[in-house]
Amino acid sequence: MIQFWNKRVKEGILTEDTALDKELEAIKREIKENVKKKFAGSLAIRMVDSGSCNACEAECNALSNPYYDLERLGIYFVASPRHADVMLLNGLMTFNMTPHVLDAYKQIPEPKWVITLGACPVMEAPFEKTFAVKAPAADHLPVAHHIPGCPPEPLEIIRGLLEFLKKI
Amino acid sequence: MRLIARYAKEREGTFEIVTVFESETQRETISKENPVIRTLAKKHPSAIWFERKMSDDFGIVIEDAFDKRPLLHQERFPKAIHPMQKAFQKNTLDFAEFTPYKYEAIQGDGVFQVSVGPIHAGIIEPGHFHFSQAGEDMLHQEVRHFYKYRGIEKMLEGKTLLEAKPVIERISGNESIAYQTAWRDIVCQAAGMELPLSLRKRHAFLLEMERIIHHLTDLGFIPNDAGFGAALAFASKLSEDARRQLQNVTGHRFGFDAIGFENKVLDISSLYDYLDGLQKDIAFFETWIMDIPSLWDRFDTTGILQKADVLKYDTVGVVARASGFSLDRRSEPFYLEHGFEIQTEQSGDVAARFKVRLQEVKNSIVMMKHFLEEDDTHIDIEKIKDGDYTAFAESSLGELFMNIEIKDGVIERFFVRDPSFMNWQTLHLMMPNNIIADFPLINKSCDLSYAGNDL
Ligand code: SF4
Repeated sequence: MIQFWNKRVKEGILTEDTALDKELEAIKREIKENVKKKFAGSLAIRMVDSGSCNACEAECNALSNPYYDLERLGIYFVASPRHADVMLLNGLMTFNMTPHVLDAYKQIPEPKWVITLGACPVMEAPFEKTFAVKAPAADHLPVAHHIPGCPPEPLEIIRGLLEFLKKI
Repeated sequence: MRLIARYAKEREGTFEIVTVFESETQRETISKENPVIRTLAKKHPSAIWFERKMSDDFGIVIEDAFDKRPLLHQERFPKAIHPMQKAFQKNTLDFAEFTPYKYEAIQGDGVFQVSVGPIHAGIIEPGHFHFSQAGEDMLHQEVRHFYKYRGIEKMLEGKTLLEAKPVIERISGNESIAYQTAWRDIVCQAAGMELPLSLRKRHAFLLEMERIIHHLTDLGFIPNDAGFGAALAFASKLSEDARRQLQNVTGHRFGFDAIGFENKVLDISSLYDYLDGLQKDIAFFETWIMDIPSLWDRFDTTGILQKADVLKYDTVGVVARASGFSLDRRSEPFYLEHGFEIQTEQSGDVAARFKVRLQEVKNSIVMMKHFLEEDDTHIDIEKIKDGDYTAFAESSLGELFMNIEIKDGVIERFFVRDPSFMNWQTLHLMMPNNIIADFPLINKSCDLSYAGNDL
């Protein structure tokens, strides 16, 4: 443990001084303001995977790594739909998952929004319609906003969330 | 004899049942009028999922099976529909009446049931776990999956190998390169081509890159599940850095579309620098993490998988290696010449799986340095010949098996067995003698794929 603190004292806080960092900082400021204004400082997201390849989730997980650190802006991924404002839906809406997705949506208190994430829920990934696929998600749920990509990179997800915040 | 896979193919008037063991492949033909086979699960318990899948897919009856419940087809799936039959061509289904699924459960005084999922608490794939509990103690657990069942095997029928590629690389995002590698081997076989060494090295480099990203993520998440968040912050930075490197090299953060028959020139020296840096960071991480006793209190003796069970359940990958089983598809001359050393541990617990991952990251870095070279080879794929082709890859999760049969130039049958398909069936063996609070830790230390399992 002592080594860890030594390293910290010696190296200080590590940041990257790149163009990406600057863009990120600007977006973050805007998100924070919007979350404060429209969601009283805290936006709760329930992520629901309806049949993805898991890369979309991996990118959402990356949002909490030290580079992006979304929680600082008041955006939280919550464990229960009952704590959520937004359902962030990815994946293909499989036959087996669809009833559970609809159930989760029902559990979210009003007002609520659905944001689709990635190419899968809008049927733009290379997957085709089989008996086991119920996408597009918009056939089953009122979709307020879409974040495209396969998968969308963390920065694109952050941009997408900002667009959503501006829109509502 | 280790069981690798068991699956069916539809022929004219018959079904062919293929059973792949480590050293031989057995084929059995049964009639379509009376499609009955005997179970293999008495000898190889993991055969039961393969057999239940066959029943759902084709309507094949497993005569003496101890478990005849549907596997892929859940409560609202129309009965008597077997979508892998060639005659079934519909691309939509209506929900049928709800038929409850009977979970395996232990009954008794004070024993209660805990159900988790399919939507888990957190950013994670959907699946279901059913626990029988006596207080905090887990008595039994059943894993139930296939919520992500996308019908990929059917989706790929009638496509050429090239058309199938974008789907194959998206079966499991964490293992995209591994899936592409297996696909590449099948293309080479079907075209009767030998892969040039330089391409092989480049692809092997990418496969190790994918492995370290996956392992680094786990090296953060496992301690995080034991309440040590600092490790997640540290390791998730490393895995993000690695992902950005993968993007630099392939143009995509997950390496989608990275494996082909053309090499691009890389900036080798910056990659060397990156790998040197990572080597130092990992050395630091190791001394730091090994020195936190409260963490090892949670890891040691938690979720033990005995070596005998590895054998009995045909387990693969990190899970098998952490129980002292030297099984790795990379144990072959090409990898050995480039610095591969198999990593095993004996204790079979969370600690062992954590250590295997850590050692594998270190070994991968060494190999990646050997795989790097300036090269811009390009090869053309010759004509694809019809036939039945099989390939293996060692993904970050373990041994991946792929079989593609090509007829009239297009895919007649696509079958893939993700390493998770074997290991999910082993998970319940790690539960007894542990408390339910340890479940996330045990589950994370195995880190299995839902997408690759469910297909
Ligand atoms: S959109 Fe692409 S990356 Fe996301 S789950 Fe679908 S296939 Fe995977």
